Amino acid sequence: MLSLYSVAYDLISIPLTAIAAHLPAPLSAWLVNTTLLNVLGALVFCAILLGASMINTIMLIWFERKMLGRFMDRRGAMHVGFAGLLQNFADGLKLFRKNTRRPKDADFVGFYAAPTAYMVSSLVMFAILPVSTGWSAGALPLSLLLALVVFSFAPLFIFLSAWSSANKYSLLGGMRSAAQMIAYEVPILLAVVAVVVLSGSFDLTTIVYEQQNYWFWAPLFLALIVFVAGMLAEMERIPFDLPEAEAELVEGWNTEFGGMLFAFFMLADYVRALVGCFLIVLLFLGGWTMPGWVPASATSFPLAGIFWFMLKTYLVFGVFIWIRASLPRVRTDQLLRVGWMRMVPLSLLSIVLAVAVVLTKCLPVIGCVPGIGGG
Amino acid sequence: MSEMWINMGPQHPMTHGLWNLRVKIDGEIVVDVDAEMGYLHRGIEKISEDRHYNEVITLMDRCCYVAGMAWEHLYILAAEEALHVTVPERALYIRVMSEEFQRVASHLMWYAAFVQDIGLLTPFLYGMRDRDLILDLFQSYTGGRMTYEYMRVGGVRNDMPPGFTDRARKLCTWLIDRFKEYDTLCLASTIFHKRCDNIGVLKAAACRKHGVTGPMLRSAGVKADIRKDRPYAAYDRVEFDVPVQQDADVTARYLIRMEEMRQSIRIIRQTLDWLDAHPGPVIAPQLPRWLGAPYAPIGNEGYLLKRNYPHGLGFSAIEEPHGEALAYLVNDGGEHPYRVKFKSPVFANISAVREYVVGYHVADIPPIMGSVDICVGEVDR
Repeated sequence: MLSLYSVAYDLISIPLTAIAAHLPAPLSAWLVNTTLLNVLGALVFCAILLGASMINTIMLIWFERKMLGRFMDRRGAMHVGFAGLLQNFADGLKLFRKNTRRPKDADFVGFYAAPTAYMVSSLVMFAILPVSTGWSAGALPLSLLLALVVFSFAPLFIFLSAWSSANKYSLLGGMRSAAQMIAYEVPILLAVVAVVVLSGSFDLTTIVYEQQNYWFWAPLFLALIVFVAGMLAEMERIPFDLPEAEAELVEGWNTEFGGMLFAFFMLADYVRALVGCFLIVLLFLGGWTMPGWVPASATSFPLAGIFWFMLKTYLVFGVFIWIRASLPRVRTDQLLRVGWMRMVPLSLLSIVLAVAVVLTKCLPVIGCVPGIGGG
Repeated sequence: MSEMWINMGPQHPMTHGLWNLRVKIDGEIVVDVDAEMGYLHRGIEKISEDRHYNEVITLMDRCCYVAGMAWEHLYILAAEEALHVTVPERALYIRVMSEEFQRVASHLMWYAAFVQDIGLLTPFLYGMRDRDLILDLFQSYTGGRMTYEYMRVGGVRNDMPPGFTDRARKLCTWLIDRFKEYDTLCLASTIFHKRCDNIGVLKAAACRKHGVTGPMLRSAGVKADIRKDRPYAAYDRVEFDVPVQQDADVTARYLIRMEEMRQSIRIIRQTLDWLDAHPGPVIAPQLPRWLGAPYAPIGNEGYLLKRNYPHGLGFSAIEEPHGEALAYLVNDGGEHPYRVKFKSPVFANISAVREYVVGYHVADIPPIMGSVDICVGEVDR
């Protein structure tokens, strides 16, 4: 089966073997060596992954700017590139050229390490989440668990950045962020447990295979709601964006960061948004599987899995943009109250429902009701 | 976390202008606040003493940059009383129409800023878009979008261009439709009510204590509106209601301002009908020479007239978009006002800040201060 890793391996091994054919024996043996080829193949794999995810992230920002613009009766970015497609690259370049300043009292290590670690921990998610069959480097039996663990690193780095920048706004924002993310991690994990109960696996690829016939959103509607709300809080998007509530906390925990450090935070936020949409698609919307009513000819073209996966991802993100365009921001105490007193019970209820669905074997009945997501 | 002071301002997204709200917080609770004003002081009252009567109008536009027409009107009323000038009736109606359009524009600006404070991004641009339409209308007959220099002692500078009233009527219809949309975006949202109900409460007694006026006072159940209580210009000849709410919280102020915009449109429609039916002069024919429109002559001419003109005192009170604005003007017979004094409603509204901010959350400060509708230009002058 064609996999991204094998493509990356071929990309490096074919030219190397060709070169080695013209070299004397000891040198060619050293060059065409499984360990070296594997390492180089892994590097190329990472580069492809990084490039794809970065381009997608930047396109996501463009998508948000354009769609928000339309909601607000304006056009969004228009001038750089066709319909402003290159605007974000230009912005990135501008931020890259800008000077970064560290406040006098800021902690050196924390101030520079936090944005980097935040960025890296967000990017690692792309290596874990399968976008299509053969996307992951290796089959991880606990990839869902790993993904959630890596996803929950963020509050630590946010708090680190807030504390090390020695600013009162940052500190308040960091406190809020930590409280919010920890509060919403619980319902997210519980909602995921419902998915695990239904699919019987912690492997994301298996979870998607289990959805070949019935997407999980219908039987686990409650869990989906909890998961989406939790993801909104994790992404710090508008109804729950109080850690960086610009009205009262200037920019929240990233107040003191400028230039590339700010770009790291900004980009990582969107990486996390993209990853959150990936998770929703993987866990509830059937991953790269196609709705049953789509004719087979439309589902069998090359890279069809990636196409359908990205289409669903962008649709989910479109819903998030819609929410951002139309809802006000809640208050910290209200957010935490909703998190602990509504979301956690709801997610527990969704686990009970998932267990009931499995025990009564009524998945075919519930899964077929909405017409979407049947095999 | 122990108590600490944080500065919200002078450069802070909450302030909407150049002032500083010092906030003492205990965790997320506000323990104490202190408003620092004066960053935008330009000495407008003192400068006015060295300007011809009509030149002061330029300064009035800079007093409140979102409600220039109202402040022009305030000054003009005081100046006309002090200078014993009578005004043609058509000018009165034009002034009323201008002030009401200005009120809608100012309230739209408030709406845009306020919804942004609670995190609503879309209505912010809706408010700004519709305010721009009013500014276009202003531009069509005054030439200016924010600083109009339109009113004159004895009337207004020029009459409306042809087709103006139809254009204005069309805009009124558009605005009334948009107000429904605004309400849907805010009042239909549960989060909006969660954020705005029962915060920033300032009851009527506290309002009286601090001299708080305008929508804040009316949201506390007091039916006080200078346009009704002490009618000026043509306000006694138009029909409108004064909206009153009882809750005295942020939502009540929102409702008051929304209803005020509707009432303003009602007034504007009446004035437009009147203006269509009654053509005529818009500026008084007999004026002292140095007051002749559009600009005062500069030179010795004024001194010749200095002692020939009767002295006078002028007082005016108008219902500005933010509250009751008062002006006092002394005419000693010279070409310049001897003394001008203004009372800004926003200054009093901010002065009471301790009463309506302490005890709430830090996150409540933006909606509360947003509901006060602050224009620092008129506070500091």
